Amino acid sequence: MNSQDQIPGLEQEKIDSLSADILRPVRINKSFLLWITFLFLALIICLYVYSIQLRKGLGVTGLRDITSWGMYIANFVFFVASSLVGMLISCVLGLIGFRWVTPIARIAEIVAVAFAAVAGLVIISDMGRPDRLPYVFLYGRVQSPILWDVTVVTTYFVLSLLLWFLPMIPDIAVARTRLQNRPSLLVKVYGILSFKWVHHPEQYKILNQAVKILIILIIPTALAIHTVTSWLFAVTPRAGWDSTIFGPYFVSGAFVSGTSALLIAMYFFRTNFRLQSYITDYHFERVARLLFLVSVVYLYFNLNEFLVPAYKMKKFDAFHIHELFAGHYAFAFWLVQLGGLVIPIFLLIFRFMRKPLPLLVISIFMFTASWLKRYLIVVPPQGHPYLPVQYVPQEWMVYKPTLIESTITLATFILVLIIITLLSKFFPVVPIVETAREESDQEAKSHEKH
Amino acid sequence: MKKILSSLLLFQILAGLLIAQEWTVPADKKGRLSPFPFSDSIRKAGLQLYSLNCMSCHGTPGKGNFQALVPPPGDPATDKIQHNADGELFYKVSEGRGQMPSFKNTLASKDIWTIVSYIRSFNPAYVQSVMPEITSGAYSGAVIALSLLLNPSRDSVMLKASAIRGNSVVPVTGAGVKLFVRRTFGLLPLDEEKTTNDQGMAFFPVPSDLPGDTAGKIQVSARFTDEDQFGPVSKDTLLQVGLKIEPVSLVKDRAMWNVVRKAPWWIILTYSLGVLVVWGFILLVLLKLRDIYIIGEHIDSVGAKKNES
Repeated sequence: MNSQDQIPGLEQEKIDSLSADILRPVRINKSFLLWITFLFLALIICLYVYSIQLRKGLGVTGLRDITSWGMYIANFVFFVASSLVGMLISCVLGLIGFRWVTPIARIAEIVAVAFAAVAGLVIISDMGRPDRLPYVFLYGRVQSPILWDVTVVTTYFVLSLLLWFLPMIPDIAVARTRLQNRPSLLVKVYGILSFKWVHHPEQYKILNQAVKILIILIIPTALAIHTVTSWLFAVTPRAGWDSTIFGPYFVSGAFVSGTSALLIAMYFFRTNFRLQSYITDYHFERVARLLFLVSVVYLYFNLNEFLVPAYKMKKFDAFHIHELFAGHYAFAFWLVQLGGLVIPIFLLIFRFMRKPLPLLVISIFMFTASWLKRYLIVVPPQGHPYLPVQYVPQEWMVYKPTLIESTITLATFILVLIIITLLSKFFPVVPIVETAREESDQEAKSHEKH
Repeated sequence: MKKILSSLLLFQILAGLLIAQEWTVPADKKGRLSPFPFSDSIRKAGLQLYSLNCMSCHGTPGKGNFQALVPPPGDPATDKIQHNADGELFYKVSEGRGQMPSFKNTLASKDIWTIVSYIRSFNPAYVQSVMPEITSGAYSGAVIALSLLLNPSRDSVMLKASAIRGNSVVPVTGAGVKLFVRRTFGLLPLDEEKTTNDQGMAFFPVPSDLPGDTAGKIQVSARFTDEDQFGPVSKDTLLQVGLKIEPVSLVKDRAMWNVVRKAPWWIILTYSLGVLVVWGFILLVLLKLRDIYIIGEHIDSVGAKKNES
């Protein structure tokens, strides 16, 4: 064993046993190859479909004059929302001092990085002329929330990537010495990415400073990213978007979709990577409580968002609310509100529902409902434009996503899965050094008690 | 639900009754004819006027794409509208009924006839009869003229109507006259209708707060109320009676809606500072990464030297 592997203040055996468990899934095996081939094949099919849109323009989608923001923008909002979980888990909870987040913090960051990275691409899918993307930067108006959004999404992605990568450097150094039998390219990458990490106390000190800066920096950025996304809607006078609480409404909704995404990812990594002794029932219980909390907050904002305009029933608000409550979108709306929020909140009260498997089911419901919710935020308010539009065919009045649109949207999810797969198959998903430190701290504490 | 249906039905019946009720034009207005023949250039001008004033409800003639209103406005190319006499069309456009607005103050009679000429262009069977020259009444054979003069005190406009026959000019007395100010979307009547006095004159007071152009000029238009008797004589002129209005450019100063070069300072500063601060810290983090690398490299080289010795 290399002498560089000596970590000050930690027993060698602990590192050995931890890295044996955590680094075991970091390998290229048959099932991984099968899975990633499947993903790439699916992606290629979707890219072919995208090439149709690129050739023929946005006319191949259901987007028309009246509803010009459809599934793509709903998907974008959803992706931005889901990426917010990284900030919630590793920053807010970490900064407050909850130690239990350590083993799942990196999973949260992987989810954040994947969704934030693809969020930008989702926007490009909504562009008829994606070659004009540089114009946003060349001719962008500093007064426009679109420019703010592009800025914060990019910044948040970079911050999330750094926050995933920086705390992992010691682990990469551990992997570098222990995974010499892996493909030489991967070992080389470990060599570069470990930044000459030798577990020197000074290096730890600097790294902790850097991570602390990131943790503090990412909180306002994450709040900005989703508040600005909500402003894309709320700065218009359109009934259904014209709301002063859209910022916190979006942020609290983001925590719901992000936390449920995290729970799904936790369940998957725990069973497939056999990490049951690191991601325990206790962690699921904790995250379930968090999910309960953010869902109740979100329910509160929902109540505000609908009760106040529904009480006044101003002409255009009334159209919108009627469409949601009893009209064209009623089924989806109540499915989202009840199946994706009220019933899960009720179920989460019970202890046995906070076990991994029931949580997986609840999370899948909430995650799906979160996507549908974004669709209901984006699409229905456009159905009643203030200005009457004349002489348009009936099919222009009602938005219906086309197969092409849905396939391209599917592609963005495939991309997210590819990113999550690559990040988790080539790098440890549970922090090794931090977990070791955590465990030895606890052991020291229990020694003191005895 | 039943209630809604029955009330809808009732509404339909009432609307149907309204449609069924003939829109009768007074007999003396029915036979009214255009004072000028409908030429191609007139029809072209008619298309312009039709697009501005009529199309939003009646749609493009011949296409049947009129608005779904109750009663339906109808397509001007259809028999339902074409079976009207010229005078009837003129009257209906001038007076309006129900949802159909009156255009007598918005459009000059010349303009209404121009629209009639455009509508008639969709009727291949139509043959126009032009109004014979006005020879009747007290001023037969005379050319009727209107003139406008601004009072020196600028608080009123004097209108003078005269009949010119050869060398003799006589005042047109006892005739109803109107004065309009031309605004962006039509004609604004100035005061009430007046009757010319025995010198052929009528006086229209001008309010002191009428907005004019940059020089304070206002375009006014005078005409007879009874065009049947005097013909479509009108007098348009520019008068210096309005307030001088300098149009304010909304994109002159820094504003949220302006181009990025003219964005408000506070937003440029907030945005730039925010980006600079956050990315400054990101740079700082990257520099710390560099420090980590330098320390590692140093320890590596020290270790290597030790191994050598």
